[in-house]
Amino acid sequence: MTKTIAITGKGGVGKSTIAALLIRTLNQRGGGSVLAVDADSNVNLNDLLGVEAGVSVGHIREEMKEKVNDLPGGMTKQQFLEYKINEGLVEQDAFDLITMGRPEGPGCYCYANNVLKDILKTLSDNYEHVVIDNEAGMEHLSRRTAQDIDHLLIISNPSVRGIQTAGRINRLLAELDTRVGRRFLLLNRTREDRLSPAIREQIEAEGLELLACLPDDDEVRASDENGEPVYSIPEDSPLPSALSDCLDKLSPT
Amino acid sequence: MEFPNTGYYLPLSHGILGLKIDTLGGLRELLEQAQEILPPIPDERLFVPYLGHALDAGMATLFADEIIEAVKYTHDPLPYLTETNPTADRLWLGAASDVILRERGIEFVDGTAPGFAAIVGKCPTNEIAVKIARELQEKNIYVFMSADIDGDSMAQQLREEGVQLGWDTRLVPFGDDVSATVHALGFATRVALSFGGAQAGDFARILQYNKNRTFAFVLAFGEVDNEKHAQAAGALNFGFPTIADTDIGQILPSGICTYEHVVSPVGHDEIVSKAIEVRGLKVNIAEVPIPVPFGPAFHGERIRKADMFVELSGPRQPGFELATTRELNEVEDGKITLIGPDIDKVEEGSSIPFALLIEVAGRKMQPDFEPVLERQMHEFMNGAHGVFHNGQRDINWMRISKEAKEAGLNFGHLGSIIHAVYHQEFGTIVDKVQITIITDADEIAKHIDTAREAYRVRDERMAGLTDESVDTFYSCLLCQSFAPNHVCVITPERSGLCGAYNWLDGKAAYEIKPTGGNQPVPKERVIDGEKGQWSGVNDYAYTNTHKHIEKFNAYSMMEDPMTSCGCFECISCILPMCNGIMTVHREFTEMTPVGMKFSTLAGTVGGGVQSPGFIGHSKQYILSKKFIRADGGIKRLVWMHKALKDQLGNLINKLGAEEGIENFIDMIADETVATTEEEVLEHLTRMNHPALSMPSMF
Repeated sequence: MTKTIAITGKGGVGKSTIAALLIRTLNQRGGGSVLAVDADSNVNLNDLLGVEAGVSVGHIREEMKEKVNDLPGGMTKQQFLEYKINEGLVEQDAFDLITMGRPEGPGCYCYANNVLKDILKTLSDNYEHVVIDNEAGMEHLSRRTAQDIDHLLIISNPSVRGIQTAGRINRLLAELDTRVGRRFLLLNRTREDRLSPAIREQIEAEGLELLACLPDDDEVRASDENGEPVYSIPEDSPLPSALSDCLDKLSPT
Repeated sequence: MEFPNTGYYLPLSHGILGLKIDTLGGLRELLEQAQEILPPIPDERLFVPYLGHALDAGMATLFADEIIEAVKYTHDPLPYLTETNPTADRLWLGAASDVILRERGIEFVDGTAPGFAAIVGKCPTNEIAVKIARELQEKNIYVFMSADIDGDSMAQQLREEGVQLGWDTRLVPFGDDVSATVHALGFATRVALSFGGAQAGDFARILQYNKNRTFAFVLAFGEVDNEKHAQAAGALNFGFPTIADTDIGQILPSGICTYEHVVSPVGHDEIVSKAIEVRGLKVNIAEVPIPVPFGPAFHGERIRKADMFVELSGPRQPGFELATTRELNEVEDGKITLIGPDIDKVEEGSSIPFALLIEVAGRKMQPDFEPVLERQMHEFMNGAHGVFHNGQRDINWMRISKEAKEAGLNFGHLGSIIHAVYHQEFGTIVDKVQITIITDADEIAKHIDTAREAYRVRDERMAGLTDESVDTFYSCLLCQSFAPNHVCVITPERSGLCGAYNWLDGKAAYEIKPTGGNQPVPKERVIDGEKGQWSGVNDYAYTNTHKHIEKFNAYSMMEDPMTSCGCFECISCILPMCNGIMTVHREFTEMTPVGMKFSTLAGTVGGGVQSPGFIGHSKQYILSKKFIRADGGIKRLVWMHKALKDQLGNLINKLGAEEGIENFIDMIADETVATTEEEVLEHLTRMNHPALSMPSMF
């Protein structure tokens, strides 16, 4: 059974960094193959993972709309999308990466998204884990091009305002009819014993469940500063270790 | 006097005539019947164009056979062994008991055994006899043997070679006399009586049942004398044709049998496949013979790069898949040829060129089915565990997993999948399939142009499809989630209004997922060909719009136009002063000459309501010969926004030229020359636009 973990949060909270390291951790824990889904067009998850990006799903969808009656090889649209998406997949030993690309322009996407949903679902079923790096607006979830998710991790910085934003995302998701198993809050770059009473109250008020506090990590900072993929920081540095603990909590063995 | 252990008396006369003969004296009546239907001897030089006399003579022969065989059972000792299998010193088994009938006859009914070959005479060598017996056994066809030539027969030949004979091995020696051939037809008669619900005496039903259900035929080896000819004529009554290895008179036109009646001379290498073809027997392959599991459960399985042993064709290497129609004699069923290295000769993790050439022959095969056969490759290949398939034609892409390679899967097995599944899925149209697999780059280069030419011809035919040339359209209900009272009906010449979907997509989607959002809409009766209205389409629309739309015209925007969900790429609306229409694409967000922006217009058109004078449609539809044909067609087009004009200009000019208008696109106004209807009219007058001299749109 494929386990899907979606990660979201407003820009700058370190969400994509966490996604990249979570992908590595899942693979290293012997969890098998991981499908990484870059569903945030503002950040390039591929850079954090240290790979080239493939052709995005959005691009493929536009290409299909351009070539309505002129698809190569006499393909039907279903076949075309399937082929292109498989071709656009960036393949690594530890994970495969798919880039969702920009959200749709004007026009009707009923058909394209309908087909895409099926293809992405089928693709996901091939992996032990799917990790989706979502933008805060959750466009792909609301358009239902992303599949149902088991765990949603909302990342925030340790501030009252940040937690209010996390609360809004939480409520937004509750309104969508996408099936979400459990929703958790993760506070980045802090320690649990340092949380102020105001923050704790706000978490309570928003009805969020705090999964963990993630530590500041010099290795992460250094890879950021040098423009290197965070994916290759040492395994025993603080953030990867903390994420491993999180995974223990999500699926106790 | 009786055949042993049966409740069917003498089965042939019981079934065909309803006789219940159990005494020697009873045979007299049968003999009289035989004499009665025996036709006069025909003139040697006169060919009769119908089979009636031959059939009667044949039936009379079978009656006579049965008399002779019945008399044999009064002899002591019995000339036949009444057992299931021969013994070391007794070969011939004669009539089968009812126990055997129930056990074996049911196999004809449930399809385990498709039928039988009644073999008379002997093969030129024992070797050939064994080969033919094996070939028939492989296809689960019973072999009934009788009639020796100079004291030797097929059954004896097999025995000499140590082949196990008897009902258990489906190689049944009936008798050395030619009259023993009747046991084969007696058996067929009893199958119809026992499993086919036919009453004794209802000969028409018995014969019809056998023609339709028992795939039997006669194979005549060696000289065919008068007696054997007469037996063959008897078998024709049951729809069982005769195929001979010697040159005897052929009876080709179909009538009694499904196809030909007597075919000769046929070589021993092909006589079995020829017989199967002539009898119209469908080869059934129950299991796909490959070393990995096969089934729909493996659809959607992606072979990750890390798990992949080899990649075939795809983004990195050339290749193609082509299904092509051939004549029946050009195809050897099940033949799989590999040109180039097999899987054990390729490097792990590599990408290699790969082509599949599938040659199909069938009595009912048509080139039109080729794309359907080809498209299904995707589904079939993906059914194998450890095989990943994507694309089609010359954009084909496969992967084979390390695990599958380890299990022994080779390239030839991919051919086996195609062979087996084509027979399973397309048995009605496909009789023979042979597959050539090419992994050699030079060899692929030699064939790829032929393949591309075939695709081109096919595409051209598709492009030439008109609404008149098909009898079924396809619906699209994907947008009903927010426009519940709207259905799109997609025709070859009117694509879905969102522009994403054409007729072929609808057809393909329905083939793949019959319960999905695209359903066939039969046109049925033409109500108005000019306006594009059909009774079947109206009925469909009425039901599926929840009784909101009773009828619509596919080619009119003025009278009962087709509705829109809201997804249309373009909106066309009438400009009454100009006696024409304007067309605007959803990307154009400024004011239009009708005084509404796209967004406002969309509110008028969408949501499944009919608003005469307004329609939503795809960009493609503007270029269709059926574009608002009932209202005057493309000549009505008086205003388009510039970007759309630029995009479609050449094509619109071409359509204009066909109507005898040069440079039509310049006559059409755009926002750079006209933003109000008055300005459009000025432009039209200046350019002498044809719409001005057309009849009023109302």
